[in-house]
Amino acid sequence: MRTLRRFLVRAGAWFTSRRDQERIREEIEDHLARQTADLVRAGVPPTEARRQAVLKFGGLDAATEDWRDQRGLPLVDTLGQDVRYALRRLRSAPVFALTTILTLALGIGATTAIFTLVHAVLLKSLPVANPDELYKLGETSRCCFWGGYSQNGDFSLVSYELYQHFRDNTEGFAELAAFSAGITPLAVQRAGRGDAADSNAGEFVSGNYFTTFGIQAYAGRMLGPADDRPGAPLAAVMSHRLWTRRYGADPAIVGSTYTLEGTPFTIVGIMPPGFFGDTLRSDPPDFFLPLHTEPVVIRDAALPHADLHWLEVIGRVRPGAAATSIEAGMRLELTRWLRSHESEMSANDRAKLSEQTLHLRPGGAGITSLRDAYERWLLILLMVTGCALVIVCANVASLMLVRGLERRRQTSLSLALGAPPHRVIRGPIIESLLLSLAGGGVGLAIAFAGTRVILRLVFPAASAGAPIAAWPSPPVLAFAFVVSLATGLAFGIVPAWMATRADPMDALRGTGRSVTSAGSRPRAALTVAQTALSLALLSMAGLLGTALHGLESQPLGFEPADRIVAHVNPRLSGDEPAEAAVMYERLHEAVRRIPGVTGVALCVYSPFGNNSWGSGVVVDGRPAPGPHDDTFASWDRASAGYFDVIGTPILRGRGITAQDTATSRHVAVVNEAFARKFLDGDPIGKHFGQHGSGSEREYEVIGVARDARYFDFNLDEPIGPMFFLPDVQHDFKRDAPSEDANPGSHILRDIVLRLQPGVHLSSQAVRDAIASVDPALPVASIRPMSEQVADAFGQQRVIARFTLFFGVLSLLLASIGLYGVTAHNAARRTAEIGLRIALGADRVDVVRLILRSALTLIGIGLLLGLPLAAAVGPLLSSQLYGAEPLNPAVLLSAALVLGATGVAACCIPAFRARSTSPADALRAE
Amino acid sequence: MKNRPDVLQGTLALMVLRTLEVLGPLHGYGIARRIEQISGDLLNVNQGTLYPVLLKLEQEGAIASEWGTSDNNRRARFYRLTRAGRSRLKAEAAGWEQTSAIIGRFLAAKAEDLQ
Repeated sequence: MRTLRRFLVRAGAWFTSRRDQERIREEIEDHLARQTADLVRAGVPPTEARRQAVLKFGGLDAATEDWRDQRGLPLVDTLGQDVRYALRRLRSAPVFALTTILTLALGIGATTAIFTLVHAVLLKSLPVANPDELYKLGETSRCCFWGGYSQNGDFSLVSYELYQHFRDNTEGFAELAAFSAGITPLAVQRAGRGDAADSNAGEFVSGNYFTTFGIQAYAGRMLGPADDRPGAPLAAVMSHRLWTRRYGADPAIVGSTYTLEGTPFTIVGIMPPGFFGDTLRSDPPDFFLPLHTEPVVIRDAALPHADLHWLEVIGRVRPGAAATSIEAGMRLELTRWLRSHESEMSANDRAKLSEQTLHLRPGGAGITSLRDAYERWLLILLMVTGCALVIVCANVASLMLVRGLERRRQTSLSLALGAPPHRVIRGPIIESLLLSLAGGGVGLAIAFAGTRVILRLVFPAASAGAPIAAWPSPPVLAFAFVVSLATGLAFGIVPAWMATRADPMDALRGTGRSVTSAGSRPRAALTVAQTALSLALLSMAGLLGTALHGLESQPLGFEPADRIVAHVNPRLSGDEPAEAAVMYERLHEAVRRIPGVTGVALCVYSPFGNNSWGSGVVVDGRPAPGPHDDTFASWDRASAGYFDVIGTPILRGRGITAQDTATSRHVAVVNEAFARKFLDGDPIGKHFGQHGSGSEREYEVIGVARDARYFDFNLDEPIGPMFFLPDVQHDFKRDAPSEDANPGSHILRDIVLRLQPGVHLSSQAVRDAIASVDPALPVASIRPMSEQVADAFGQQRVIARFTLFFGVLSLLLASIGLYGVTAHNAARRTAEIGLRIALGADRVDVVRLILRSALTLIGIGLLLGLPLAAAVGPLLSSQLYGAEPLNPAVLLSAALVLGATGVAACCIPAFRARSTSPADALRAE
Repeated sequence: MKNRPDVLQGTLALMVLRTLEVLGPLHGYGIARRIEQISGDLLNVNQGTLYPVLLKLEQEGAIASEWGTSDNNRRARFYRLTRAGRSRLKAEAAGWEQTSAIIGRFLAAKAEDLQ
């Protein structure tokens, strides 16, 4: 209590210091006058009396000093003094201050930029109410469809029927919501405006989706259970992003009618701006539709099928309910539901029935597809920037040490005159903190610019309105501040410690004579550390570069040059197969007529379109596969001449041609991997079918195409088996011969154009040609195929460039560090060198003398760096496509580059030392 | 120089409080003189050290001060005991007496007492 009162009074007194100063002076004066008067009365002569009074009072200055320590807040006072002093010192060395702040800004900025992304992608919860109460089903990401009744021990996707079963039979959830795992491209037109159709992403969600997440409408209302019933009026919710970007935040949108895939929907509300849906993805959905509208919008709907799993499930647990007991209950329900479908199961599914189980996981971060995809990149980047920051720190610490040495004499004097050591230490630390905080401030600016650039490079698709804010959030600001403080302390502490070791006697005797200099050992250690880290960074950059080069130069199996891919979004419903075929024919004709186009083909998925159909394969003449046999193959549908247009060579037989018609025998072209895996001997003329379609003689193999890459997510794995079917041939169900087994596989989304070499085609020409066939056909994108391929390597390229940038930066810093240490040593030994030369030493000896110590540093740095780089390698290769854990050539060239740069940096001071004039050097003594 | 005991921080404060209690409001010089007189010049008090103690006591609310005029018409700052100071003096005096009594007993003790 007393202490608190005292503190408050002192804090108050701090503001009134001038008046108080006056008071103490007056009081002391009064005291002395009285004492003198008393002494005079006692018979002491006046001058002597005054002297005695002062003596009796004691040190005047000490008394006021003591008094001042009691008054006000001396800590704040002296801190202010120290800060002002540090600022003055920094102002007197503007070049040092600026370079230091800029290097620090670069280090802190880069680390903060990466942290911004790490925070947004890896650490942040969904912007929903109480995210800890949310739990999601499944640990494995199985986007976006899964058929049958087994999911390898982890049911993560459910069918609508299974969702209903869970929803109605699980205690413990306040709400259990379901939503489509994938997003559906929708042809979108605002009704009654006659605008061209847009292609926007849509997601199907259960009626309680928004209540589960606790999301309130920004305008209008969100969907409710009443909207998610068969026969309910068609309602949809629009994203805030689309509403503001495309429709200028027009309030009239709420309540207006939109045609989605040809069906009129009422837009009932706008989502709040921060919510991008359940999944953090680079292309978040713009429309949210009730689950029950899926059959209205999509022709081969998933909703009615009990064995087609396409929904993710997230639930909000009731307060007090334990997730583990809910999980146990859900496992029982899963088994119960599976048993009720036992009669419909395939033999293989029935055999695996007992293995089926599920897992409940915290769902506060949503479905984390983006997290899965970017985690390793971000962690590598964080590691790289962290390394760079350490190197920057070492460099600045080294500079600070030099400053400390320059100040040695002054520090010693201060100590000799009685400066308390704690204030002597505080000087350099405050200077370091000021520098690092300034660096942090500038670094924040760099970080936000940097985050934007990285976002654009890493998420090219989401350049506009990415679901990640590149803007300072409190955690990011706190991170930058803490990093700044930590760096400031890191590089300030050694110089501060050196400062207190200054021996006053030494300083007053006159330093600069000793051959071994104080502070050179810590500097040498810093330089060695820098060299070692630089080597690690450089070899990392080298490994990444080689890996990237290896990936980019691998055979793709098609020709990306002189090809354009137009991605269209044909209506998914309404068109009869015959009509669709006519439309594709007309599209083909229209695009083919564009001057400069030498070939056109349509397909469901073009190479690097990152999608395909997939199914199990049964081969004629082979035993039926068992439950654990891997029979998976990807497949695609394409029009005649497809392989020719994309440039995939046909190795045997023929490709898909005009002679394959709706009525001719069903044929397939397979890739080499397919032939190797499923077909023995000559593949041509062999028959196979899709698992579940009934016939293993469905398709006759007419050709083998070279393996071509269709996906960018497994670039380091061999290309998997794949087969291609003519778009005009339909597979019919065996039990219902008039019903198409896979109507969705006839929606041709990609139009590939082969151009005359050197011809440049504007995307408008392609758009016009497509619009001439059907103005309502939305074109999602038109881009060169080479770009589609380059995008696949985009992330890796960004990482490689980023690492290279920091590798070069660290190389530069390490060289500067080496130069600094060598130059400093040379300068210190000027006298010694002069003496040596005077005594007849060769000038070459001088160079050798100076270089020897520098080379020792480089050598030790490289020796320490080699195991470090070797340790980083395996870490990278476990995370990166095609990166080798240890590439001696890369390591060796990194070491050579580093060594050569280091030696070059040391040569400058060494050769300067050679021209030391002995007379000057000795006179300087 | 004679070997005179240093005044402990806390004891000086106690002396100040006691002086003010006995003599009523006093200026700094007066307090210094009384302490000197009472301690019989045995204490080595640099008079200057008194002022930080006065300031501290005032900040803690044990004493208050104001400008006034002294006997010979000189302007001086007079210190007086506050109510809080009075109760603090009481408590500290009791504590001090207890301490000195204990120490006294120890010093008076003979070897046989401690066996």
